[in-house]
Amino acid sequence: MAAASASGSRGGGLNMVLFYVFLILFVLVSVAPLLWVFKMSIVVKTELFASPPTFLPQNPTAASYGTIFGDERFQKALVNSTIISGVTTVICLFFGSIAAYAIARLRFRFKSIVMTLILAISFFPGVAIIAPLFLQYRTLGLIDTYWAAIITDTVFALPLTVWILVAFFKELPRDLEEAAQVDGATTLQAFRKVIVPLAAPGEFTTAILTFIFAWNEFLFANTFLFDANTQPVTVVIPNFATVYTVDYGAQAAAAVTVTIPLVILVLIFQRRIVSGLTAGAVKG
Amino acid sequence: MAKSRGGRGAPLGRRISRRRFIQIAGAGIAGAALLEVTGCGGGGGGGGGGGEFTFSFGPDPSGSLQELVKRFNGQFEGEYTATYREMPSDTGQYFNQLQTEFQSGQSNIDLIGGDVIWPAQLAAPGYIADLSDRFPEEDQQAFLPGPIESNTYDGTIYGVPWFTDAGLLYYRTDLLEEAGLDPNTPPETWEDLKAQATEVAEATGAQNGFVFQGSNYEGCVVNGVEYIGSHRGSILDPNDSSVVTVDSPEAIAGLTTMASMVADGASPQAVANFTETESQEAFLQGNAVFIRIWPFLYGLLEDPEASTIRPEQVGVAPLPAGEGGESVAGLGGWNFMLNAASQNLDAAYEFVKFATAPEQQKFRALEGGFLPTLQELYEDQEVLDAVPVIKLAGAETLQSTVPRPISPYYSDMSLRLAEQFNGVVKGETPPEKAAATLQEQLTQIIEQGS
Amino acid sequence: MTTAQPEKKRRGVLREEFGNPERRTAYYMILPTVFIILVVAFYPILYSLVLSVTDSNINVFGSFVGLENYVNMFQNVEFREGLVNTVVYTVISVFFEFIIGLAIALAINRAFRGRGVVRAAVLVPWAFPTVISAVMWRLMFQDQVGVINYVANAIGLISEPILSDRTLLLIAAILVDVWKTTPFMALLLLAGLQTIPGDVYEAARVDGANVMQRFFRITLPLLKSAILVAVLFRTLDAYRVYDLFWAMSNREVESLSTFVYKSLRVSQLLFPTGNAAAVFIFVTAFLLALSFIKVLGMQTSTED
Repeated sequence: MAAASASGSRGGGLNMVLFYVFLILFVLVSVAPLLWVFKMSIVVKTELFASPPTFLPQNPTAASYGTIFGDERFQKALVNSTIISGVTTVICLFFGSIAAYAIARLRFRFKSIVMTLILAISFFPGVAIIAPLFLQYRTLGLIDTYWAAIITDTVFALPLTVWILVAFFKELPRDLEEAAQVDGATTLQAFRKVIVPLAAPGEFTTAILTFIFAWNEFLFANTFLFDANTQPVTVVIPNFATVYTVDYGAQAAAAVTVTIPLVILVLIFQRRIVSGLTAGAVKG
Repeated sequence: MAKSRGGRGAPLGRRISRRRFIQIAGAGIAGAALLEVTGCGGGGGGGGGGGEFTFSFGPDPSGSLQELVKRFNGQFEGEYTATYREMPSDTGQYFNQLQTEFQSGQSNIDLIGGDVIWPAQLAAPGYIADLSDRFPEEDQQAFLPGPIESNTYDGTIYGVPWFTDAGLLYYRTDLLEEAGLDPNTPPETWEDLKAQATEVAEATGAQNGFVFQGSNYEGCVVNGVEYIGSHRGSILDPNDSSVVTVDSPEAIAGLTTMASMVADGASPQAVANFTETESQEAFLQGNAVFIRIWPFLYGLLEDPEASTIRPEQVGVAPLPAGEGGESVAGLGGWNFMLNAASQNLDAAYEFVKFATAPEQQKFRALEGGFLPTLQELYEDQEVLDAVPVIKLAGAETLQSTVPRPISPYYSDMSLRLAEQFNGVVKGETPPEKAAATLQEQLTQIIEQGS
Repeated sequence: MTTAQPEKKRRGVLREEFGNPERRTAYYMILPTVFIILVVAFYPILYSLVLSVTDSNINVFGSFVGLENYVNMFQNVEFREGLVNTVVYTVISVFFEFIIGLAIALAINRAFRGRGVVRAAVLVPWAFPTVISAVMWRLMFQDQVGVINYVANAIGLISEPILSDRTLLLIAAILVDVWKTTPFMALLLLAGLQTIPGDVYEAARVDGANVMQRFFRITLPLLKSAILVAVLFRTLDAYRVYDLFWAMSNREVESLSTFVYKSLRVSQLLFPTGNAAAVFIFVTAFLLALSFIKVLGMQTSTED
């Protein structure tokens, strides 16, 4: 763990080599299963289950990708997933940020209670509340609409959002609001104009985590959403199957297809995750 | 800190409130608008009057189901319209979804394409409709007896058989020949099967002798039922389903045979985590001599993309019998059931009549290899040609099936049965102990239930 | 500056809270979040609580039976098995995820070539769809066609099929989870590292502190909030694990949540016990969170 140092260490050649070896190893381990699944998506059906397994595809084919992209349900599901995840992320960020700010920076009682209350939903196993939630949504007429999934995802993502942002806002120097208020800003204006930009790394981190969480959510989407109009990819992918057999090639192709955009999303936003305070934006 | 309070306190407070209010209101309006747009899709009752109804079933990539629906809608245009709602491909999840919707008191499904093990479970709480009026005894005679029995609970008929399944033995005729055995006389007893499997695998170098489904899941229960039934045992008394008969010498003999498959080396240890997928792939890749599986395998055999071996290399036979027993086949298949709370029962039943008529069942047999449930079709030459399995296995096999226990609490029973059977296959649970445990557990389930 | 008198203390507190504009703002700001969570979560939790003290089954509401379901639950072999498996799994996987995640975060925090790509690659396991993940991993562990089983067999690590052995399955589940969730930890810890200004290290180095001292005396303490969030949430998630055990082990290995799922949604007669188990998970998770917060110290007051 000699590489553990936030400011460039002058440990010398060996250090650097170890560092890069560690990094390469880590990247390989992270990506290897995805590569294997990619291989599953480009092999012929009979090779999928070759025993012993083959490492390189013998007759690569794009048939599985043809299957999934030719499938209307899958295309609609991609749109549905994007909508559900996007709206969930926006709502979470919006409500979560203002709640986190209040907890982190404003004075009021009951803070611990509120924080714990917000956390409460994370204590409950999702499988246990499917039936009552279904009843609730049915009563409100929200079954089989995006909102059933969005609300549920939001409720489960809010705790993490709030807690991350509370930790983040607390790190910001105290004088920021005072400086702003000296300039005549209200609490909310100070929040919007000064705090939010500085908390960008926290916001983007939370946004990515929330988006991915909603994107991958299966249990609730499976129960509350009934057909191609609203079902996200997590529900549609396992249905590349019949009651007898499963089309693993197509499922692998779909898995690759839905992972790539997420990775690209992260690539685009990864700079935002790390820009910020280390630039020394706020000096006492 | 104190600077943020006092002083500008009051006016700040009021200004903030108004702004917050506008923000909240704006969000609310936007939310409501979004709700309108994304709409209340398919929620609420399906159709209601006007002969529209919703039919639920798992995915069917072959397209024969969509074709069926289209034909129906075409034939009854203006009168009835069927909408096909695709359910999860996993039968357990499909069942869970149905239960969740029925429990909530309202489902938009009018007609259910259901698994053969569901009727009793859905009939007991009153979720599906009694079909005695619509589907009288005379009509029932035209169908195979096994599926009809599985649709009957407490003496009343609750479903109409759609297509059926039976466990079969497939084997590699070419490997048998290579080992010097006669490919036209497949083993007729389990002992024979074990001997042949080991012998042929050794002689030809095949990876596995005999594969079946022994993982801790529903498929294992069917396998177990077959072993027990082939030794003339039973799990529940066939005449009185509240009596548990699994702790009997016959059943124990069956379970002993099941355990001996791995113990005597005819099957690989891994069958204890095989489901249909793993076992079928072992066979299709040419790595197994014998396999016990459903008829759908034959369709895969005929597809060069799915199988490395050809149909000419494969023979189909009824499952072996136990010592002094008989050959039985586990019953599978799918049936039509009606949602008791539906407003469109007449329309839905029209679809049932349509789909179970000889013409449509024949179409599904020819197009998708689905086994018909009408007895007359088993003498139709075209059907016999299109579904070679029937001819090869013998039409009588497909007509002499044994169902899994028929009980409103089958889900609980299935959990226990699968667990014990899996233990038997693994060699962890001795057959006598498994039978005794099951006797106790199943009796308790029946008592608790009533 | 409270205006409350001893007898009217409670009313005074409330008035103090809501009479103060800054505090009122604060309450408005937390309102939507708390509201959504309460509204959505309240009924289901109440539902489970009530059902857990009755003998209902899935279709019929039963009658009050006191703590009988809880007793049955503790006597149930599968429940105990699930409890043990879940605890072992949680402790081990969170431990490794924390250590490895921290290492990754520290490594990525430095500037080096290809940093962006590494960051994106690091997130791949987390982004991989869970619904396929369990199934694909099962295939990879499978006896005859699975690449992992093949390699492990080839190098002599195992002698029987991974999927048939409960211990191996548990290990496999832990490995898969570490693979999948370390990025989550790394990301959170990285975000936390970002808030530590560079000059603190500069000053320390000038004062002659070495790498280890800088790490333990500066990095870790300043990272406390991030560590709390990361470890707390990861622990809660691991404690409620369901997917990995149900789909990947195909019911071989039990966890607390698979027991709940089995009892509530598959079985009919175990329904009351399932509800008891759900409440059990709720209560123990709650206690777990409280102890975390106590130990790692959550500062919610704004004094410094």
